[in-house]
Amino acid sequence: MPETSVPITVPDTEKEQKPKSKSRPDRGYLVICWNDPVNLMDYVTHVFQMVFGWPKARAERHMLQVHQNGKSLLVRETFEKAEHYVHQLQGYGLHATMEREE
Amino acid sequence: MKFVPGPSQDAAEAVLVYRIDAREEALLLAMLRLYPALDNSHHRISQDPKAAASAEQRLLEESMAQQRAAHRRKVEALFQGPQRFFKEVLGDRHLVLTVPQLEWLLQVLNDVRVGSWVRLGCPDLEKSAPLNLARASNRSLQAMHICGEFQLALLEAVK
Repeated sequence: MPETSVPITVPDTEKEQKPKSKSRPDRGYLVICWNDPVNLMDYVTHVFQMVFGWPKARAERHMLQVHQNGKSLLVRETFEKAEHYVHQLQGYGLHATMEREE
Repeated sequence: MKFVPGPSQDAAEAVLVYRIDAREEALLLAMLRLYPALDNSHHRISQDPKAAASAEQRLLEESMAQQRAAHRRKVEALFQGPQRFFKEVLGDRHLVLTVPQLEWLLQVLNDVRVGSWVRLGCPDLEKSAPLNLARASNRSLQAMHICGEFQLALLEAVK
């Protein structure tokens, strides 16, 4: 799987609001999907729709980010939810990982 | 194989119908016999090399193993009762799936596609570099392409 030096950034349109109190869960885990040359574009779009419940346009936007930039930041979540999403995405055969936000 | 659009139905009860000929049916069953093709150790929870020995990595591998076992049971059930999936309708052969069946079938076919690609040495298909056919197995190359064609045909129903 080719590696990329593209930095991890959060798209402006999907920035999360800062927690209002310290009791809110730490959403410091990034779920990232990485490009590979084997998963079909239509299939990746379908998987994003199924796993995240996204409309097709949003799923396609992330699929194209993966294809063109080598990766796409899908969600920023708590540890448990990020792990859950990675299990689901990998169950579909996508190259997805969870990374601690620095 | 071609999707046959039917009347709109509630997603939970929708039945998806595909016209399929005898050769395609045999090919589809042959692909399903290759499942699972990916090792559980193929999956990585993180890019961080330190995570390779983590509890989260082990949990991911266990989760993938459980999913493969569950899918394997579904595939075996399909072989035991193919009449549940393949029907003869007015001279045409049809593959009939519910939405949940479509989802696991897509996952199974993708596992065989990705597993075949791994066996070929993970070639960069987008750069159209010639495959090292001395190392490549014809069976893996064919399985990768055939599974991709079935995946695209199945996805016609959800477009």
